[in-house]
Amino acid sequence: MSTVFSEEQRDCLQELINVAMGLASDKLARFLNTFVHLQVPAIELVSSAQIPAQFEARYSNTEAALVSQGFLGNDGLRGEAIVLYQLDNAHRIAALLGYDTDSASELEMLTDISSILTTTFLNGLADQIDNSLSYSAPRVLSSRQTNVSQALQETAFHWELALKVDISYQLIDHSFNCDMLLLIPGEAVSNIQHILDRILEEY
Amino acid sequence: MALPVLICDDSLLARKQVRKSLPESFDADILTAGNGVEALAILRSQEIGLVFLDLTMPELDGIGVLEAIKQEGLDCFVIVISADIQPEMQKRVTELGALAFVHKPVNPEKLVVILKQYGLI
Repeated sequence: MSTVFSEEQRDCLQELINVAMGLASDKLARFLNTFVHLQVPAIELVSSAQIPAQFEARYSNTEAALVSQGFLGNDGLRGEAIVLYQLDNAHRIAALLGYDTDSASELEMLTDISSILTTTFLNGLADQIDNSLSYSAPRVLSSRQTNVSQALQETAFHWELALKVDISYQLIDHSFNCDMLLLIPGEAVSNIQHILDRILEEY
Repeated sequence: MALPVLICDDSLLARKQVRKSLPESFDADILTAGNGVEALAILRSQEIGLVFLDLTMPELDGIGVLEAIKQEGLDCFVIVISADIQPEMQKRVTELGALAFVHKPVNPEKLVVILKQYGLI
C-alpha cells in the first residue's frame, strides 16, 4: 500500500478505519453482551487477484464461512464487503447468544454478526467522509467450507481491488476471529486519495 | 500563563484533530507524543497540566499510561480521546483517574464543553 498512498494518506485512512472499527466493536460487544478487546486493525490495499492466495494459509486447516454484503453510496462509492470466519468457536458463541446449535441457526447468527460489523463499520466510515450508504441484504456465500480460496476467487473475480482489514476480536471468555475484506472497483483508488487529501487539507 | 499540554496519539491526523479542536481562548504550550512510552518520558521530565490521551496505541497503550500516572503520582489532568467507546472501557479509564472520556472523532464542540466544565477556559 505504501506505493499507492503517501505516508500522510495512509495515516489518515488508518485513523478513519480505527474510528469506524471502534463503533463496530461497541455494537458487537452490546450484541454479544461482553467486552470486546479492540486491536488496531491492520489494513492493506491489494489487487483482488491476490486475495485467494493471501487467505489460503490462514483458513487451510479450519472450516470457514463467508458472508457478503454489497454497499452503495454517493459519488460512485460502491463495493462488496466480505466477512470471513473461522468456525471453531461458532457453536459456542451461537449457544451463548441463545441461537439453536443446528446449522441453519449458525448461518443466521453469522449473518446477524456480519450485518452488525459491516453496516456499523461502513456507516462509521461514511459519516467521517460526509457520505451515506445503502446496503443489500447480507448473504452467506459458503459455510462449513474447506476450500475458502476457491470461494474467494469466485467473488473477488468481479472486482479489481481489495482493501483488507484484519480484525481479530478477543472476547473475554473466548476468541472470535474474523477478517473483513472490502472489494472495490479499480477507479476507487483515485477517489479514496482525493477524499483523504480533502480531509488532510482541513487539518 | 500558558498551560503545558501533551497530545498523545499514534495517528498524526488524530493529533492534528485535537490541536485544531482547541478553542483560541485556550492558552496552551503544546507537546506531542506518538505512543505511551514517549508520553511517559515527557510526563516524568517536565510539568504537564493536561494530557489528551488515545487508548489504542503501539508500544504502550493509554491504559498503561494511566496506570503509570496513578502509580507514580504524576500530577496532571487526563482527557481520554478514544475510538474504543465501549462503556466498559469508559468505566476503566474513569476508575484510573481520567477526567473525561471523549469519543473519536474529536471536534471543537466536544472539547469546549469539557474544558469549560473544569474551568480550563
